[in-house]
Amino acid sequence: MPGIEYLLEALTPLNIMLALGGVIAGTVIGSLPGLTATMAVAVLVPITFTMAPASALILMGAIYTGAIYGGAYAAILLNTPGTPSAIATTFDGFPMARRGDGDLAVTLACLASVSGGLVGSIFLLMLAPPLADVALAFGPVEYFWLAVFGLTLISALSENNLLKGLIGACFGLLLSCVGVAEISADIRFTFGSQTLLGGIETVSALIGLYCIPVLIDLVATPDKHLKVTHQARGFRFLEALAISWKYKLGLLRSSVIGTLVGILPGAGGSIAGLVAYSEARRVSKRSEHFGKGEPEGVLATESANNATVGGGFIPTLVLGIPGTPPDAVILGALLIQGLRTGPNLFTGEGSIVYTFIYGLFLATLLMLPVGLVIGRYAYKTIITVPKAMLVPTVAFMTLIGTYSIRNNISDVIVMITLGVVGWVLNRFGFSPSPIVLGLILGSIAEQGFVQAWTIGAAGEDLTGMFFGRPISLAIIAFILLSLFYPLIRKHWLGSKMGKVRAD
Amino acid sequence: MFMAVLFILIATAALWDTTTMTDSDSYVFPRAIAFAMIGFSIALIVWNLLRPQPTPGTPNPDTPTRGASTARRIGLVAVMLTGTLLMPWLGFLLSGLLAFAALMVCSMYDTWTRSRTIIYSLSGIGIVIGFYTIFAKVLLVPLPTGLWFE
Amino acid sequence: MKLKQLVAIALATIMPLSSAFAEFPEKSVSYVIPFGPGGESDITARHQQSFFKDKFGQDLVISYKPGGGGAVGWSQLNGIKGDGHTIMGINLPHIVIKPLQKDVGFKTDEITGVYMFHYTPDALVVNQDSPFQSLQDVIDYAKENPGKLTLSGSGKGTANHLAQIRFDGMAGIKTTYVAFKGTGKAVAALLGDQVKAEWGYTSVGAKHEGKVRLLAVAMEERHPKFPAVPTFKELGFDLVSGAYRGIAVPKSTPEDVRVKLSQMIGEINADPAFRQRMENDGMALLDVDYAGMDAFMEKMTAIYTQAAREAGVIK
Repeated sequence: MPGIEYLLEALTPLNIMLALGGVIAGTVIGSLPGLTATMAVAVLVPITFTMAPASALILMGAIYTGAIYGGAYAAILLNTPGTPSAIATTFDGFPMARRGDGDLAVTLACLASVSGGLVGSIFLLMLAPPLADVALAFGPVEYFWLAVFGLTLISALSENNLLKGLIGACFGLLLSCVGVAEISADIRFTFGSQTLLGGIETVSALIGLYCIPVLIDLVATPDKHLKVTHQARGFRFLEALAISWKYKLGLLRSSVIGTLVGILPGAGGSIAGLVAYSEARRVSKRSEHFGKGEPEGVLATESANNATVGGGFIPTLVLGIPGTPPDAVILGALLIQGLRTGPNLFTGEGSIVYTFIYGLFLATLLMLPVGLVIGRYAYKTIITVPKAMLVPTVAFMTLIGTYSIRNNISDVIVMITLGVVGWVLNRFGFSPSPIVLGLILGSIAEQGFVQAWTIGAAGEDLTGMFFGRPISLAIIAFILLSLFYPLIRKHWLGSKMGKVRAD
Repeated sequence: MFMAVLFILIATAALWDTTTMTDSDSYVFPRAIAFAMIGFSIALIVWNLLRPQPTPGTPNPDTPTRGASTARRIGLVAVMLTGTLLMPWLGFLLSGLLAFAALMVCSMYDTWTRSRTIIYSLSGIGIVIGFYTIFAKVLLVPLPTGLWFE
Repeated sequence: MKLKQLVAIALATIMPLSSAFAEFPEKSVSYVIPFGPGGESDITARHQQSFFKDKFGQDLVISYKPGGGGAVGWSQLNGIKGDGHTIMGINLPHIVIKPLQKDVGFKTDEITGVYMFHYTPDALVVNQDSPFQSLQDVIDYAKENPGKLTLSGSGKGTANHLAQIRFDGMAGIKTTYVAFKGTGKAVAALLGDQVKAEWGYTSVGAKHEGKVRLLAVAMEERHPKFPAVPTFKELGFDLVSGAYRGIAVPKSTPEDVRVKLSQMIGEINADPAFRQRMENDGMALLDVDYAGMDAFMEKMTAIYTQAAREAGVIK
């Protein structure tokens, strides 16, 4: 294993404490809706100035990884992604909690996050420099097709009514255009309002569309929030372990997907979770159960989003281009320390990078006990707290959390408004997920499209641009597969059945 | 049905806004999306006309309907909105406390016994102040201090 | 007895207030960056942060108010209390161009700048293994293939874009600008050969040393870190520009506080260690203090307005 001599460096008491403290702090921060991993890391940057670079990296990496995991709590227990990376975890996590399997879901999320984190770190350790080149090969066209691929998930998310899902996605895409356009310096869809000038911020929209409707319905009746069918029997650890082992290939696949998505600059945990979920659903034999509380769904999303931690560091450290938003902050902190990024980090200045990577391994492993314990408390708290305390606390958390994203009251107002909108839409059968999908993928799709168009038009080769590049073709193949595979499978199975009957 | 029409209106408003954009790059995408949205909405209306559902506008089965109190629902939203709008005036701490108290009233279904009132109020105050401290002092988030206290 | 005590307390509270300005800053100063964390504005602010504490004894607390490419922060600037304990970063050409495009909630002359402390000069960047060895190569290629030369940059209406417009005009060529969201993405596109060159900054050359080459820099004199790279001026093009960064205060800040802040920032700027750090990162330093701010803004506004009009960014 490369750099194994630095393993001991990573295990100094200081670094172990930093890793442990970072994971705990990160998990708690990530679980609060509105507080993102980016924010958590940004706050701690000044502290890192006085530390050695490797220790600073370990601390920031530990917080980052804990925060991505922590987002699962709110996702499972409150249907609110604590961080954007946990969006896809709500799909199956919340239904599981609803039917009484919340503790199982939390434990599954923990196991999956640890697995994903480890896989991402392994890739970072072994294959960082060559994988960084993959990141560079992704041009605007590839990003566009990737966004389209993400959008095909709509069909999966809107089983009731595909049309409603498509309309929702369009709505989300339009919302993503509100504010200052990146590609043209124009200002769109603000209708003169100051509030909308900054655009619709993703996290505030998430909280609004997912959490507020839950709160609105919580106040309406005296019913309990989550069903509790049994006495809280521990962590349900063995049960979760058995499920994870059963789906170990799926876990691996989702983790790899997560790592690869993390490598792409601009694509972070949210997209990783969505892509991994889409794929897991496509190949699963129980695909109809996805979205209703299928453990495999939780495993897929949580492993993918934690894998982006390791994956995201690859372009950050090798190319100096941040793979995910928290990486941008970490990169800034490193630059201030005078650290120069580049492949020579892995050869020349080996000590810092390898110490850090082993520290990241350590932090990921520490997440298991920490996560289980905190998860248990989170679960118990949510079930036992009386509604009259739960609702105000969660509502208050959303207010303060949303404000803290950009220190802007407008975001809070947008959140509440979207919350009402989301609740109304829910009543009419429009699920919020396609809207969120459109919102997140909108800017990627639009920028990719316009940039690809500009380059293609300059080279006078538009078709070649959009359809001629190897990576794009691979993604397009996946898109077609994703759209038509279920139909093909049904047909194929159907004809097989027919043959058997005819015999 | 009603929603589909609403969405058509939204898409039209979007299209109207695109006419104010100067750069051609700005409106390509939004226009395409808006047209798609109108298309899908029309398709939805047609679909609904062709296949009338037994219960029009069947709500999400997870949403409880029997015995649901609309007053409390509106109360929740109103309190949150008012609390937010008052924040620049009263400061975060004060409007937060007021909002919390109001929300407690909205979501309280058990009777207000004396011990309950005391425990809940104290916990509520503790929670608000606790979060405020974490965010404002530890995380250094510049929460509004209110014009009255400037 | 009570009345006397009350009067004593009242006097005790009023007295320190009147001498407050003599000890400015008396608590930590809040430095609001109208962008997200991790960007160039953040990094330069962090550099300043570490020097601030040593020199002035108070913390410089950085917070972020992103949105609208800075517009959200600047539109809220004058609503902040003007006691000098809150300052905000400002960027040119943003604060000049944005209000001219649409209603963004502030006007350029509503921003009270107290100091312009640095700029990252525009530079034409190519890959290490690019066939372009000099600026002339680029011009020749563009003349033979009008519109085919693709250059990445950090968004329309930014310094990069305006530099491209101005240079195209000066050299009589037609190139295609591909806007990306931020310098990071623009560089990634260059490194991945998605485009042929980049209108970036000298800081790009510093950050990605060895992977990219600078063909020319838009400065008066050559950058100390890149002595081999000619300036546009040397090659016959009067292009001296870049992205400027400075500090502003709310309109209600009293005059003496503005001057004091201007001095403080100037002091940090004069520190040789600070200058070394900035130059290492490929930045160039600038010293426009409060007194010279109006003249500077007038000059830059004229330049930018004209360039933006040519670019079609404003009507």
